[in-house]
Amino acid sequence: MTCKSSVEIITEWDIVAARQLGRNEAKALGFDTVDQARITTAISELARNIYLYASIGMIQIERVETITEKKIVVVASDQGPGIKDVRKVMEDGYSTSGGLGAGLPGVKRLMDSLDIHSVIGVGTTIRAEKSLR
Amino acid sequence: MKQLESQYTKILSDYMVNQTEKNLYIAQNFTRQLIQKSISPEDVVSIHKNAVEQIFPDQMSEAQPAYDFLIEVMVHYGMAHREHQSLLQKQAEYEMEMNIATNIQKTLLKTYVPQLQSIDIGKISVPIRKMNGDYVHFFHDGEDYLSVAVTDVVGKGVPAALCMSMVKYGLETLAYAYKDPSYVLEVINRVIEKGVDDSMFVSMFYGCLNVKQNIFSYASAGHEPALHYRAKVDQFFPVEAKGLLLGVLPETSYSFHEIVLEENDMIIMMTDGVTEFRAQNDLNSREVITALIKANRHLTAQQLCQLLYKEIEKVQNFKLSDDFTVVILKK
Amino acid sequence: MDVTIHFKEINHKLFGFVEGEIDTFTASGLREELEAVKITEGLEIELDLSKVNYMDSTGLGIFVAFYKRALRENGKVKLVGLSNRLQRLFEITGLSDLMDIETDKKVELR
Repeated sequence: MTCKSSVEIITEWDIVAARQLGRNEAKALGFDTVDQARITTAISELARNIYLYASIGMIQIERVETITEKKIVVVASDQGPGIKDVRKVMEDGYSTSGGLGAGLPGVKRLMDSLDIHSVIGVGTTIRAEKSLR
Repeated sequence: MKQLESQYTKILSDYMVNQTEKNLYIAQNFTRQLIQKSISPEDVVSIHKNAVEQIFPDQMSEAQPAYDFLIEVMVHYGMAHREHQSLLQKQAEYEMEMNIATNIQKTLLKTYVPQLQSIDIGKISVPIRKMNGDYVHFFHDGEDYLSVAVTDVVGKGVPAALCMSMVKYGLETLAYAYKDPSYVLEVINRVIEKGVDDSMFVSMFYGCLNVKQNIFSYASAGHEPALHYRAKVDQFFPVEAKGLLLGVLPETSYSFHEIVLEENDMIIMMTDGVTEFRAQNDLNSREVITALIKANRHLTAQQLCQLLYKEIEKVQNFKLSDDFTVVILKK
Repeated sequence: MDVTIHFKEINHKLFGFVEGEIDTFTASGLREELEAVKITEGLEIELDLSKVNYMDSTGLGIFVAFYKRALRENGKVKLVGLSNRLQRLFEITGLSDLMDIETDKKVELR
């Protein structure tokens, strides 16, 4: 069973809405408090990147429940400028939002996996997943 | 995680009862374990929260939101912590690569100091960082001729070392012309001018000793002047030659000069790491060097080189600012 | 200790005042500043080094690189206000025969 919902990111307060949605979904799947906090922080970072660099975009959250696994999938998509060098933004120490620990490598570590698809001038789609163990 | 949680609960409840220093010491040892297993800050807060819930079940309902709040805050600390860990690992990798590169450079730029019956040769070359930007090259033909090139690449570290490999291979191809200082400098100049960027240069002092006739012919490409110690008069004379640094202009010519060596005379060649005393402006480095050599002229060339290094390092408070190279030829 | 440079343009002539210590660590900033200078045909540039109290061979490299670029782009570079120590550095390296250089004394006389 898959259940999708999404939040459009236009203003800074939309980041809060995305966080709230993510936390509810994570809770509903059965993640514990610490993992809920991790998933929410990851969503917050992705939404903030949209707000800061693409100005308009969308956070979509999928709840995937099958017999074998339960997982949450976060998809952040925007029609922003795109990422020139994906390898570089995945390097530690290279953080676009300037703070230590933030940025995509941090998000990847909070979740299980992170995939980036970006085309210059068209936009970026980032997909992050975390399974319930 | 479950095991850590029960251990933590035990340690905490012991502390709540006794509150002794011993309890805290046990806690410290436990923390070490947590770090070793790279337990993140938010997990530590969560462990603590669960432990408190077990020990004081009735107090938890009020405090729980505060703990959850702290977990939220700690997630971000955890991100920074993990990034730091990963950067440390990366640094260790770089360091390992650097060590390998240093060893390769040592092998590539190894100087073979020839042994001659009639000339005593001493040489020391100490890099300021891991990689050496100075290099010494010898050519010799039995007991007849001995040539030496003392070179210094502008700059230090890896870029300098890479450039130096080029100089070394350039010199090696010039074995056929090693008796001609001007020619050697002119060819190496072309090699470097073509090969490196605008801010990279090399200075070189090149000398060739005709051992049988005791004539030392030399040329210099922007290098620190050498010194000639004349034993007969117990005095030093500068061995200077005008010439532009290698790698600045494509066609540069270098003139050579000759001096005659007599019994017990010395030629002292060096790089600017030897003469440049950054901290002490008023100190004349050449006076320090000449006084040292004069007082210890009975030593072998190699002993003199080592003594110079030891003493100049001392004068500069063990903080040399550049690669340090001295070559001494002693008759 | 750091090194700074500031520029002033007077009558189509560019004056640069360099101040501080130029070594391996401070050099990159100065290099960038000099690389950013736009050299137009016939532009005269005068760099004043009288407030430079230390310079190692890396610093030398920066000025030579700048000189070489100016040469290619048909500009003119002159270094003025060199201390005796700097003067000696330019002499040993053979650069004083190549570049237009004035020592401190001549500056004072002007």
